[in-house]
Amino acid sequence: MEELSIIGKSAGRVDTAAKATGEALYTADLSLPRMLVGKVLRSPFAHARIRAIDTSRAERLPGVKAVVTSADSTGEKWGVFRYTQDQAFLPPDKVRFIGEEVAAVAAIDEDTALEALTLIKVDYEELPALFTMEEAMRPGAVLIHDSNPGNINVHVKIDVGSVEKGFSVSYHVREDTFTAPEESYFQAEPYAVAASFDSTGNLEIWMPNAGPHLKAKPLSNCLRMPLNKVRVRKITIGGAFGGRSEISPADVICALLSRKAGLPVRIVYTREENTVATRLAHSMTATIKTGVDREGRVLARDITCHMDGGAYSSTGPIATSVPFLCMEQAYRMENVRYNGYRVFTNKPIRGMFRTHGRAFACGVDLQLDMIGLELGIDPVTMRLRNARQAGDYTPTRSLVPSCAMTETIERAASAARWKEKWGKLPPFHGIGIGCNSVQTGFPMGIRGGSSAFIKFNEDGGATVISGVVDNGQGNENMLVQIAAEELGILPEDIQLINADTEVTPSDPGSYSMCETFVGGNAVRLAAIDAKKKIFKFAARALEANPDDLTARGRKIFVKGEPERSIPFARAIRMALAKGEPVSGEGSYWPKVDSRREWVENPSGQLSETFSFGTTIAEVKIDPETGLVDVLETWASQDVGFALNPKVIEGQFEGGLTMGGQGGMLTEYHLWDGGRLLNPDQAEYRLPLAPDMPKINSIIVESHDPAGPYGAKEAGMSIAMSAAQAYVSAVCNAIGVPIKEYPLTPDKIIAAIEKKSKKA
Amino acid sequence: MVKAEKKKINLRVNGEVHTLLVAPHLTLLEVLREELHLTGAKESCGRGACGTCTVLLDGEPVRSCLLLAAEAEGRQVTTIEGLGRQGALHPIQEAFVAHHAVQCGFCTPGMVLTAKALLDKTPDPTDEEIRLALSGNICRCTGYAKIVEAVKAASDKGK
Amino acid sequence: MRLPSFQYLSPGTVKEALETIAAHKGKVLIVAGGTDIVNRLRQRLVSAPYVMSLKAISELKGIKKNKGELVISAGTTLREVAASPEVSGLFPALSQSASCTAAPPIRNMATIGGNLLQDTRCLFYNQSELFRKAAPACLKQGGRVCAAVKGATRCLSVYQGDLAPALIACNAKAVLKKAGSSRTVQVADIFSNKGKRPLAVEEDELLTRIVIPIPSGPYSCAYEKLRLRKGLDYPFASAAAFLSLSAKGVIDRARVVLGACGPAPVLVEDAAAFLVGRKPGDADGLSAARCALKVCRVVENVALPASYRKKMAVVMAGRAIGEALGQLSGAGA
Repeated sequence: MEELSIIGKSAGRVDTAAKATGEALYTADLSLPRMLVGKVLRSPFAHARIRAIDTSRAERLPGVKAVVTSADSTGEKWGVFRYTQDQAFLPPDKVRFIGEEVAAVAAIDEDTALEALTLIKVDYEELPALFTMEEAMRPGAVLIHDSNPGNINVHVKIDVGSVEKGFSVSYHVREDTFTAPEESYFQAEPYAVAASFDSTGNLEIWMPNAGPHLKAKPLSNCLRMPLNKVRVRKITIGGAFGGRSEISPADVICALLSRKAGLPVRIVYTREENTVATRLAHSMTATIKTGVDREGRVLARDITCHMDGGAYSSTGPIATSVPFLCMEQAYRMENVRYNGYRVFTNKPIRGMFRTHGRAFACGVDLQLDMIGLELGIDPVTMRLRNARQAGDYTPTRSLVPSCAMTETIERAASAARWKEKWGKLPPFHGIGIGCNSVQTGFPMGIRGGSSAFIKFNEDGGATVISGVVDNGQGNENMLVQIAAEELGILPEDIQLINADTEVTPSDPGSYSMCETFVGGNAVRLAAIDAKKKIFKFAARALEANPDDLTARGRKIFVKGEPERSIPFARAIRMALAKGEPVSGEGSYWPKVDSRREWVENPSGQLSETFSFGTTIAEVKIDPETGLVDVLETWASQDVGFALNPKVIEGQFEGGLTMGGQGGMLTEYHLWDGGRLLNPDQAEYRLPLAPDMPKINSIIVESHDPAGPYGAKEAGMSIAMSAAQAYVSAVCNAIGVPIKEYPLTPDKIIAAIEKKSKKA
Repeated sequence: MVKAEKKKINLRVNGEVHTLLVAPHLTLLEVLREELHLTGAKESCGRGACGTCTVLLDGEPVRSCLLLAAEAEGRQVTTIEGLGRQGALHPIQEAFVAHHAVQCGFCTPGMVLTAKALLDKTPDPTDEEIRLALSGNICRCTGYAKIVEAVKAASDKGK
Repeated sequence: MRLPSFQYLSPGTVKEALETIAAHKGKVLIVAGGTDIVNRLRQRLVSAPYVMSLKAISELKGIKKNKGELVISAGTTLREVAASPEVSGLFPALSQSASCTAAPPIRNMATIGGNLLQDTRCLFYNQSELFRKAAPACLKQGGRVCAAVKGATRCLSVYQGDLAPALIACNAKAVLKKAGSSRTVQVADIFSNKGKRPLAVEEDELLTRIVIPIPSGPYSCAYEKLRLRKGLDYPFASAAAFLSLSAKGVIDRARVVLGACGPAPVLVEDAAAFLVGRKPGDADGLSAARCALKVCRVVENVALPASYRKKMAVVMAGRAIGEALGQLSGAGA
């Protein structure tokens, strides 16, 4: 590869100065002329029929400009897949969780809007409600959706090879069950929507999102408007982590209010509404049976997993599959069976979370530790012996084109001085390891690819137009770096127009970890396309062959002869003079198996490539209190190629904090039936600065053949392997496996006491 | 619902005095954002548990979502907008940008202000002192590592 | 979320304040730092036509060492308490408790008076209106059921203030004024031990100052707090210990006080038996701490289980006692 001048460097990001000064506008910061305040009326019942809604008193309150109920909606039901369309926003018939949207108002100020809500009378007929998966699956239980017997939303069934045969020839088999309650996203920015119609019926709408094009289509369906009239606008976004990819009731409600009032409307969720009325992560019980040979190589694995999906499908088939798929990518397993069940309950809706199924992932990995202990093999060796290799096929038939899993294990272990520590640390002092793998993109049909355009100004500057969205991870900067590198100009020469559905072409969005791979590739291809045209003109000026040219630092020159150059801007003007202005166009569609379907046909190329990572954590437990002090951590991931090392470190550090420190030590939700008891940061404990250990980031590069400059994904894998490493380390420290998560101090004390009673 | 009369209050924000007529139940956060359009201070929890509403009151970080606007009368309020703007960043803002301490940016104004208050009092803080000073500011994106680096870099020793 | 609407009053002196709360008795909420009351207003746990601010009353600020006593005015912020050399020099337990309350920006606003008079808390009670309306009104709300403990007839919501256990261990007193009168009570007596109405303070009374007697001989005190994170959180368990020595170098007074285990801080009376009458080196801190088990009334109403919190009450008591003993031994007693 030619030497790179912009890619691969830790250049400062294009978007962060505005965030540091407070100038960046998030949705709740937007102000439009005569904008109204919208508020949503929510169900206090977990399961109830709506007999009648009387909004007349609310409508008469001075200052109220619009009130909407199901009567104002088209009744379209939302679901990510056609076969899971079960959620009508502002439901006409019944509510299915405490907090579900029932009506909404738009008024001149917040006080009036809040008062208006109290004037809406809803006549509910309470129904029996189901709060646990056991209750929901019991024969004779009330049906939350008439179409789903036993309240089973999704059943993903994967059966590869012969699990029975694998167990029969195994040297050692064990079965364990792991559980964890819900956690949730707690993006710093609470959800908000601003909507405005113009006089010709065009809708402009702003909201934090993980893919504006994924919002526009369902909006167009729900509002019965053509896509060209639905403009999801670019806005600064305060985090997504998997919870902002789908259309939200608030989006449609805000648009309905705005249309009815004839004025812009903004709805700003409280933190509580963000937790309850957007998405939570799934709670889960995973029973994992694994058989190994004498060397600890897995010969067979049989997993049954039940996940509480809450009241509606959301991304059900995907969420039910991904925990399994991550592990089938990470580790070799020829014979494997997976039965994943997503179960409906009368609780807030669950979606896909960055740490996909902590009970599952930690269970698979902790079991490797436990098996290793029984066989006399240390955890690192267990991982090395089972690690995925490049060129393998996963059980569900995805080719793994690039994989440096082994290198991530070895480098993390070496940096952590594993050999000196494991088995040699003082009591209550432990070290553990976790390995995982993440898809870079899912099959998404006609929305799975990204396109980009580039236009040029006569002074040599460029505008890149892409549907890619930035939730804070640095995607905008990534596109600018790629375009600048490929075109041979500087990042400051480039303006980016992104994530605006009126202007930018379709893009799959960030939640499937493919913005770099798919969106970045599209921009790269667009730049290459433009460069080809530009070089045609430059070649004439330089009397050279276009194939012998290269560009860097705003100059186009002959390779090896930098003095034979012209300024980039001159080539642009030459093209204009000829009446052939240069523009660039590029599209990237990942090579996935379009016949692969999550439930019907879970086989075939899932993503074009995968990332792989390892985290090691060293901890010290206070045996009197059970509190965990994390001493140091090492996060290593095969990212394909580091487009911007500091940005990637930021992802490792944030991922470890979310998946490990928070996810496995302090984050969990508590319920009183269908009532969520800890919806905000006072009682849902997110990690704080003094809680965090030193995080050593080790970037590994396998140079993926298809990724832009070899890059894959870098935002999710560490969150998962960190969760696993934390569990592995704590259990190592106390010498007892714990299978119920998170590892709160009461569970650690109980495990220590149980162990000393046995002794 | 009690219909209280609006009160006249004088608020000194970023060196400028604003005379405003506000309902007494409005918090400083709401007045800053809605009356003065200073949207750098934000609401992320509504409970005083997250720090995104942080402003400086006479140089000390406080939770503006727990402070009635009327309580701020006679005090100096500093918001993030009082620190720097595009092209002319405060050294702490520059350090945050240079050290990649900003990802989604929602917690950044609160972090920067709290860091400023720390460095004004303790020009050479240790890592531990920085973490304790920021212990009331939650970040979901960065894991705090580069935030601490940035504050260190902006401190006397870091220069 | 907007607060409920109210009228705002800002008296300039204690006298004016007392007249105001007498005039609007039962209809006025007092805001000092605001970090407890504003939260409860936002959740509509309380509301009133009037909110009276103490911010303009300079008499309510200041820390003063008089002869034989330390006086802390009720409007002194926790930051000021934590930073005060008088407080840390005379009563380290109080410094420690103030320094570990919440987070620095909250300590810049919160006052010692407000912290002391905070309401009790419970996961099931401290909810917004939407979630409270989704269940029958609980005992603390004036309803008939306890949401945390099925069938309970008494509210056991938890008092989680950090300063109270330290103040009670140090034998502090509180001065409560009302228009035309004043009374001084032991801080311990401010608490009714009833979750529904935890404070034995009348609606027209104002806490003006805390007075802590300074023992003449050698003494020590310490405060220990258990929380899940290294910042922000209320305690899941806490304990304060105070020990003083007679002229003969023998412990003559020992007070161990638990926090976060019931509607009021609790004096562990039986603990004294293992401490008083002994030299610090011979004191049985472990047995003293174990006495916490008997008085720790915890139920499942916060984010960690009651059984764990009970064990931790013993651990925290043991550590506070141990630290206090260590201070005495260090002093060469």
